[in-house]
Amino acid sequence: MITSRRIFLAGSASLVVTSPLSMPALAAGGRKTNLVVVMLRGGMDGLAAAPFIGDDTLVRMRPDISINSPMKISGDFALHPQLKSFKSLWDQGRASVFHATSIPYTGRSHFEGQYLMESGGTIPYYDKTGWLGRALEGQGRKSLSISLPMPLLLRGSQDLDNFLPSSNSLPDSDMLARLAGHYAGDEMLSTALETIRKRPVSMSSMRSRGGDDDVHSLARIAGQQLADPDGPSIAVFDIGGFDTHAGQGGDRGEHAQQLGKFDQVVGTLRSTLGDVFDDTIIVSLTEFGRTLEQNGGSGTEHGYGTAILMAGGLLPESRVIGDWPGLKKGKLFEGRDLDATIDARAVYASVVARVLGADHRKVVKDAFFGADLPDMTARIFG
Amino acid sequence: MRPRDFIRRVGFGLRPDDQLPSDPLAWANSQFDSVPELIWPGRIYSEAEMLDIRIDFVDAEDAIDNEIKNPAEAKEKRRALYHRTGRRFFESYELAIRHHQAVYGDAPVFERFWHFWGNHFTIVDKNKLAIFNTGPMQRDVIRKGMAGRFADLVHDVTISWPMLKSLDNFQSRGPSSKFNVNRKRKGKPPKGLNENHARELLELHTVSPDCGYTQEDVINAANIMTGWGFVRKTKKRKHVEDRDVGYDGHVHEPGTHIVMGRKFKPKGFDAKTKGKEQLRDLVEFLSSHESCRRFISWKLCRHFICDDPTDEMVQMVVDAWEKSDGMLPDIHRAVIRAAWTFGDGHRKFQMPETWFLQVARMSGAPWPGDPKAFEYDFKSKPGPVQRRPARLLAELGHRPFRAQQPNGFPDTEAEWLSPEYLVRRLSLINNAYRFDLWATDKDMKVFVDQVLRRNFDNPDALLAFHEELGEDAAPSDRLVALFCSERMLKA
Repeated sequence: MITSRRIFLAGSASLVVTSPLSMPALAAGGRKTNLVVVMLRGGMDGLAAAPFIGDDTLVRMRPDISINSPMKISGDFALHPQLKSFKSLWDQGRASVFHATSIPYTGRSHFEGQYLMESGGTIPYYDKTGWLGRALEGQGRKSLSISLPMPLLLRGSQDLDNFLPSSNSLPDSDMLARLAGHYAGDEMLSTALETIRKRPVSMSSMRSRGGDDDVHSLARIAGQQLADPDGPSIAVFDIGGFDTHAGQGGDRGEHAQQLGKFDQVVGTLRSTLGDVFDDTIIVSLTEFGRTLEQNGGSGTEHGYGTAILMAGGLLPESRVIGDWPGLKKGKLFEGRDLDATIDARAVYASVVARVLGADHRKVVKDAFFGADLPDMTARIFG
Repeated sequence: MRPRDFIRRVGFGLRPDDQLPSDPLAWANSQFDSVPELIWPGRIYSEAEMLDIRIDFVDAEDAIDNEIKNPAEAKEKRRALYHRTGRRFFESYELAIRHHQAVYGDAPVFERFWHFWGNHFTIVDKNKLAIFNTGPMQRDVIRKGMAGRFADLVHDVTISWPMLKSLDNFQSRGPSSKFNVNRKRKGKPPKGLNENHARELLELHTVSPDCGYTQEDVINAANIMTGWGFVRKTKKRKHVEDRDVGYDGHVHEPGTHIVMGRKFKPKGFDAKTKGKEQLRDLVEFLSSHESCRRFISWKLCRHFICDDPTDEMVQMVVDAWEKSDGMLPDIHRAVIRAAWTFGDGHRKFQMPETWFLQVARMSGAPWPGDPKAFEYDFKSKPGPVQRRPARLLAELGHRPFRAQQPNGFPDTEAEWLSPEYLVRRLSLINNAYRFDLWATDKDMKVFVDQVLRRNFDNPDALLAFHEELGEDAAPSDRLVALFCSERMLKA
């Protein structure tokens, strides 16, 4: 932590409460703790999601795409007007923004960046498992990804399922059993089929009204599964479309629309989870932020620093967290992007440690190859 | 490689009326020298015709949005517009042309390479490109370029309308172009570069990040690409979108630009044209770069042989590339030779569309259906058969014109083998009537045994698995046992 930088904090008078946090694996009353990761592909613009309003830099640099009606959350920061559910959680002390952070990748390629945001490593296309998968290995937790592919993020752990509603009938259980015998020599096929055979009936009857883009239905399904005491405690969503090189828009437009989808996931989970929301944390994950300055097509280019949006009852109160470097030319990364002052992996490590009730160092070792990541637990949860 | 397995690996397997070629390698190699004609008997719309239909659609939709205030009236107008322009028809129609070719054509290996290049040069699913433009571009630009040089293919794809649109180059402008100098004089803020297309030209289409280019290189490649976009024929704006691809020296960033140490100089003195050839020079440079040869040879081997191709395999293709100066038929033959030489020891999990086309070809199912059934009146809602190809592929999770990101669909088992993807395949075969496989009205046991013997070398284990189901097995279970077998999923 670079202490000379300004430490931002809203809604709380004191920040660094370094009381040792020993979290039980289950929350009070024996309930499980849940983690939801929402992947935002394409480079989510932290400066649009949580704009800096402490000076007029953003308005000057982005004349066509700045946010006209930001929802103020502190003296220096606001939320994008599409983040309505998130803001209402903020007002209840159940949302935080971790700003000026990124995975440690500065190459500006989506595909390398997305690989690394999921693998948790530093060499693109190298690690074959994901940071969350490795953190969950041997933890006896079930995970569910709301997507057709099994995201790299979760690979490496056991008891993984992925799901999107569809309407066709599977072969009957006898035939699936025969097929399981036939697949026995192939590890990946048999693992996938075993997962299908173990699925609860509740999943096979689930339908989405509006197809695969209907995030509301998908979030409701995830919420129902997470709320089941025997169901998964980890869920992953995958939302694309953040790569707005052209016509990014301000209050409305393409980027706004995608932020709205994130907000819908948060809002729907909030309402579907009921009390379980108290034991839940939702975090966003993206490959990089976007340039401070707008480009020729009223869009933005691939950048570096961005924000992590967090919501859920596991948060003690609403805060803007991070070591804000500012948007002055000399403080920008390569003269063009918000800098990332804290490795985003440090944030995820602390979140995972909190959810699993595990030691921070162990999570860093298991999930992030023992990288040098500061413990953010007190800043987020203290 | 064993012959029947080889034909599944690099093609779609054998139809009930296909003969096993006596020399499978020669059979495959003969498919590349010229571009096979499309055998679809119905109307085939050219890329230019589809662009006109698109622009008609965009203009009319824009007019409805802007002019019709009454929501009910707007809805009605929009419905009529959808019918008139085939808004709900063309994606499936385009897929029907593609699938008809794969199932009934006599150059299935060529078709596999066509599908590969279509995915390599992905047009992102946005702005209705998947409906009106991506398929036609794959036919008219990619397919037609497949008997020529790789560099020419890259060039033609780069300046194709859908690519310029999907990667935004049409609105990239040189920071010190005439255009921006004029803006500055008028006190207007500049409109600058858009790096999107340049980055993907380097990263995805040619040299890949392994080559070690820098952000500066990306910016300079973007500078070179400025000017390539859409040109308006008249001063007065007639349509919401411009129709013609062209080069406009007015927005081109002037001067010499250096990419990866190579200088790209302007040619001639006319400001309108002197930067025009820089893109051609850049594409030639990138296409003949060692990193490009290696990256794309590796990617081809990964698609046709196994997820982790060995150096030996890749080198075979790289050598052919060098020797032929990047002639695609030679490159394709080298990939096939590598598959033939090394293929037996490796397996390849098939992408959903490829697997489905293998099911269709091997089973002789009448897919995508009678071409006459695809004659559309452009007045009513398209029928279920007319919409079936896109719907079926959507369930499998693989609509080839709808990749969400410019790197296209992935190509490895880890990406495609998840519980839910497997559910989709099992469910489809379990309900095979949906692609008319029941219409065969055959003794399903005999039928499955025949398909199996025709398409698999060493079929004993598969035959035994089929036998295990017993005499009274449901026809759907027999089909699942064959088409969802481990060897079918991993050709």
